[in-house]
Amino acid sequence: MDNNEFNRLLKVCRIKLEESEYDSIKKDVNEILEYFKVLNELDTSGVLEAYHPIKIPEKTHDDTVFEFKNTEGILKNTKTYRFYVVGPDL
Amino acid sequence: MNSYEEFSKKDKPTDYFIKLSETLSKLNEELNAFNVISDLSKLTNFPISVKDNICTKDVETTASSKILKGYIPPFDATVVSKIREKNTFSFLGKTNMDEFGFGSFGVNSEKCAKNPFNTSYVSGGSSSGSAIATSILKYHISIAESTGGSISTPSAFCGVVGFTPTYGSVSRYGLIDYSNSLDKIGIIARKSEDIRFMYDIIKGKDIYDTTSVDINCNNQNNKTIILIDELIKEINPEIEKLFLELVDKFSKMGYVIKHKSIPFIEKAIASYYIIAMAEASTNLAKYTGFKYGFKNENISEKYNQFFTTSRSNFGKEAKRRVVLGTFVRSASVKDMYYSKALKTRTLLINELSKVLNEGFILSPVMPIKTPKFDEINNFSPLEVYKTDMLTIPPNLCGFPHIAFPYAYLNGMPVGAQLITKHWNDYAIIDIVSEWENNFKYNFKYNLGSI
Repeated sequence: MDNNEFNRLLKVCRIKLEESEYDSIKKDVNEILEYFKVLNELDTSGVLEAYHPIKIPEKTHDDTVFEFKNTEGILKNTKTYRFYVVGPDL
Repeated sequence: MNSYEEFSKKDKPTDYFIKLSETLSKLNEELNAFNVISDLSKLTNFPISVKDNICTKDVETTASSKILKGYIPPFDATVVSKIREKNTFSFLGKTNMDEFGFGSFGVNSEKCAKNPFNTSYVSGGSSSGSAIATSILKYHISIAESTGGSISTPSAFCGVVGFTPTYGSVSRYGLIDYSNSLDKIGIIARKSEDIRFMYDIIKGKDIYDTTSVDINCNNQNNKTIILIDELIKEINPEIEKLFLELVDKFSKMGYVIKHKSIPFIEKAIASYYIIAMAEASTNLAKYTGFKYGFKNENISEKYNQFFTTSRSNFGKEAKRRVVLGTFVRSASVKDMYYSKALKTRTLLINELSKVLNEGFILSPVMPIKTPKFDEINNFSPLEVYKTDMLTIPPNLCGFPHIAFPYAYLNGMPVGAQLITKHWNDYAIIDIVSEWENNFKYNFKYNLGSI
């Protein structure tokens, strides 16, 4: 991965590296990605992907409404104005 | 008799904690086991600690990350709720860990956790504080979490027992996610009976976690121990010698010893790290600087800049994993990395399941001796990842496993691990219990007998 590609990746990740980190992390990333290629030695044709290690019942949460009473508890973890969460410009 | 029953017979538990307070606080200062220590004088029950990536209502929970500094969960994780319902436990504190669980040695934390047997050595990670706290405190159990070996490694380095249950048997609701398909909440204790005692409390289906499963765990034991040749071929010679002595002891306990070969098991490392990093990069996307912990005050910044500035609070290993995880998920290379890793996991689950139907896999926990802090500095990240070669296969495939100390080398504990098939969790607890009948644990500190 060259500098341009690496910089584009950092932008997608919203990660800004310190000058002292840039070269070492770029080197590590390239070395690790190269190592990951060992998987290409395996024939996985016809093999299904395991998104979980066990069989998970295909059931999502029941669509029920309940009252969450501790809204103050949530809001105290944010910067607020009146009853709104203050965030950055879009 | 388990530790809880012994503890309950103490005359004045409150006095016990007051006396312990000064000693424990001083020791904690030296070892960095806890991020928070409760007011010990108020503790009157069986003391437990909780890893800092598990939410505890009204108690700061940071996963040892600067970006979560100040985050106060308004709710308890399901495991914590289940423990509180018993009314027989007191929370001692939140335990130190590698940031978000990203580490094998407990060094990716603002304050590195030190090994209680010798502070020049690492304690292992990522559940470093949980293992240290258990090692120094009698009558203590810690609720920990493992993604790729975060319970087994620190348990082995600190000379305690670490149990990682079948994926899905304990609710992950309230866990600060690292990798959803790999994270498992487990237990670190001094004895297997304490593990059994706590596992009975925390396991079970939870409506808040759709990946939790309600299946009765078994304890099938066919008295067969299997050694995977590829897992023991590259271990430190001194560890290997001790491990072969352990195998011999199991043989004398009546176990049949078999050898098996799984040539592609080494691919588990790449498969694991690709999946773990891919999932971590999405999980960490929610830390944007205006919810949870750190608040970026500069709200006049545009969203992308605001987000980027806030995320500079991630540690170096977190940044590395977010970058790699984002890359392996990208459309142009997804088939080559992420999809390939998931298919490799399928092959490994199938192959290991066949082996585990014949018996229990036994291996050392780490292929190296407990390293000193200055030795770690010479490891590249990839070299660190490769040291997880023994703990990754059961974690990647969700198999229950238990780490236990079996020897001491130059005063430092050495650990082995037993792996079994899905939902056969109690069998490995039973085996370690059987093993403990003929093994004497050493603890440098034994606080609690004051």
